[in-house]
Amino acid sequence: MIPLTRRHLLTAAGAAAVAGLAGCGDDEPDAKEGLDGKRAGAMDAFKVGDQFKATEPLTFSIMMLSNQTYPYKADWPFLTELTRRTNVSLEATAVPGSDYNQKRSVMVSAGNAPFIIPKTYHPDEEAFIAGGAILPVSDYVDLMPNYSDKLARWNLQPNVDGFKAENGKYYLLPGLHENVWQDYSLAVRTDIMDKLGLTAPQTWDDLANVLREMKKAYPDRYPLSDRWSTPPQPGGNNLINLVGTAYGARAGWGWTPAVWDAAAGRFVYSGAMDQYRQMLEYLNKLVTEGLVDPESFTQTDDNARQKFAAGKSFVMSCNAQTLVNEARKDIAKIPGATVAKMILPTGPMGATLPGYNRLENGIMISKKAAESKNFVAMMQFIDWVWYSDAGQLFSKWGIEGQTYSGSIEDGTFKLDPGVKWAGLNPDAPKGLQVDYGYSNGVFSYGGSTKLLSTQFSDEEKAFQAEMNKRKAQPVPPPAPLSAEEREQVTLWDSALKDHVFQNTLRFILGQRPLGEWDAYVKELEGKNSTKYLDIVNKAYERYKKAHG
Amino acid sequence: MVTVTRGYRAFQAVNAVALAGVVLVTLFPFVNIVARSFSGEQEIRAGQVTFWPKGFNLTTYERVMSDALFWTNYRNTVVYTVVATAIALVLTTCYAYVLSKKNLKGRGLLVGIAVFTMFFNGGLIPNYVLVSTLGLRNSLWAIVLPNAISVFNLLVMKAFFESLPSELEEAAAVDGSGTYGTLLRIVLPLSKAVLATMLLFYAVSFWNSWFAGFLYMDRQELFPVTVYLRNLIAGATAGTDNTASSEAALQIAASIQAVTIVLTMLPIMLVYPFIQRFFVSGVTLGAVKG
Repeated sequence: MIPLTRRHLLTAAGAAAVAGLAGCGDDEPDAKEGLDGKRAGAMDAFKVGDQFKATEPLTFSIMMLSNQTYPYKADWPFLTELTRRTNVSLEATAVPGSDYNQKRSVMVSAGNAPFIIPKTYHPDEEAFIAGGAILPVSDYVDLMPNYSDKLARWNLQPNVDGFKAENGKYYLLPGLHENVWQDYSLAVRTDIMDKLGLTAPQTWDDLANVLREMKKAYPDRYPLSDRWSTPPQPGGNNLINLVGTAYGARAGWGWTPAVWDAAAGRFVYSGAMDQYRQMLEYLNKLVTEGLVDPESFTQTDDNARQKFAAGKSFVMSCNAQTLVNEARKDIAKIPGATVAKMILPTGPMGATLPGYNRLENGIMISKKAAESKNFVAMMQFIDWVWYSDAGQLFSKWGIEGQTYSGSIEDGTFKLDPGVKWAGLNPDAPKGLQVDYGYSNGVFSYGGSTKLLSTQFSDEEKAFQAEMNKRKAQPVPPPAPLSAEEREQVTLWDSALKDHVFQNTLRFILGQRPLGEWDAYVKELEGKNSTKYLDIVNKAYERYKKAHG
Repeated sequence: MVTVTRGYRAFQAVNAVALAGVVLVTLFPFVNIVARSFSGEQEIRAGQVTFWPKGFNLTTYERVMSDALFWTNYRNTVVYTVVATAIALVLTTCYAYVLSKKNLKGRGLLVGIAVFTMFFNGGLIPNYVLVSTLGLRNSLWAIVLPNAISVFNLLVMKAFFESLPSELEEAAAVDGSGTYGTLLRIVLPLSKAVLATMLLFYAVSFWNSWFAGFLYMDRQELFPVTVYLRNLIAGATAGTDNTASSEAALQIAASIQAVTIVLTMLPIMLVYPFIQRFFVSGVTLGAVKG
């Protein structure tokens, strides 16, 4: 018998470690290689407005997120028609949506990923850059006329610059929105407003007055009891986010540690900004006056909904979907109760919306694809499907005369009565997504405001019309960190974030007086907020010097 | 007839009450899940469902069971489980039997190799690369082979074989039985308890497993049903990117977890009574030697 000694184990473990390390290498490619020999099937002069059609039948592999509500089907009319129009077939690796990111990560890391890897949210792609398995797509955007056109026309270059790595390249082709799409606001009981003779609030201070009137009429209740308090953010994440935006702070769902201060020309620490303090002050006032339920920041969504349903509260966060599916259904049992989405109140920042979320999730391209002789055709194909007006309309609504009629330009667009989608035509026999494969989240997102508005109810259109009058706040300049820097700031970030979130809640609930703000800022400095900013600002300067 | 003292009768009564309590406590979550799976959305959200379905509703069952993919994946699970369990049983038995022979040369090394894998493994991506390179992806074997021998089960079985009196095998050898003859005709018939235990352990673990299927299968029609249901739950509870909104969607969101649990538990529950009598003795067998 051969005894298994500790030395055997160590040797084996060591060998395994070496083998593992050898596999990793930093093989960042030299810029763009020539594209000669990679144009098979591509169109010669593909430009905006052209219908892409490969000159020979091609097949591209794609990672296909199979959505729970409309599981992927290889025989969707969408895919058949796509092949008919573009001469391209898709060879799909179907991945359940529940664990899409994990499988993507394994396949990309193992060098086994399909050519087209959609449904990636920035900054997820950063994890794959060092491995060298994905393509710096910014090198190839000149192959994509529709993408470049929209980027320029909609003034999205600054947003995309924020995706750049230290080398000045970006690795994700994001979905593009013409305008900011503000979906979230507050749902308010309009019957109570009418009963009390209140007018719709224009500003957050107006809203406070509305809540005060409600409190006067119903002293035993909290007029506003909120939802969406899932960690990691402090709680009341939508409310904090909306108020923060109005005051020029980034909080709740909108939290980001470093915020660009245009006046000073440098990044400042989000949780230590005076705007952040103003937001806290406002919310603290609402809580101490008994206008906002203190449980708003800790309770479950179901609890918040139950209070709203029972008429114990009159205002609650919502979006277009939860307004119709939840809030409106929840209050159905209260006689005469009506609810509507409130036009988002404004604050010191004026009639603006955050500009940073005009980019959607996007597509990564496998490095392998760039070696294919059909590479150029593939980029043209992606450009047409995801970025051309015709492609976007097709992937969203299907075929004119079959699944829809009219045009989006003149507002005559109408979904075919035999097809149901979301709240439209609920009794129709066929589903646009389930049965046809259109409006699939893998292919259809972003686009022009006109295209987006086709999916809204009239009520929502009115809300969006108001929102579209608002200006997008400028986005911060790029400040890409190196891998080491990122590692360093991540360490500081979690301690800082915990402290900010904890104290955000304590300040709002009045457990800590706002008089201690300066002490709190000192505490953040003690947790390296200054060093954190130094790194970010250094990265900003460095990038500016290198890439202008 | 043995006379029963009052003290003993009191003990029995207390015992019965206590055990009934335990039964109730263990049974309640299960009954509650079944009740929820048949209940309406409003009632579930309001927390009114305890032992009996309220607002009887079958929408979720209909939705899940009317999907052809569900049945395809259910069939896959059955096939994967049966094949994988059979192979795992054979391989584990062979390995364990060999290891139970004290006079085997290199036995320590063989045990060491097995035990090593309990504490160290290549990790997710190397495993994926290995299975891919072997060409096992999108086949049954990607699920079966990497999980064919569970070291824990192997050790249980080895201990069991070691506890069998070696005289039996010596007697068989004297009567002219070879190694395989002894294993098949003498040892295995005496090992029904441990075999039943292993059968159950393996079957349950393959039945419940979703990760291997998720990782190594690239086409939906190859997924086990666990992946299908997991995806359904995630979709119903996440609600993001969910434009299919209707009464049905809300109903499904409310009861999908319960329905899923019932649907996946059912077959294994049906098997359980038949092997349970082996099961109890099997787990404890081999636990105490001497």
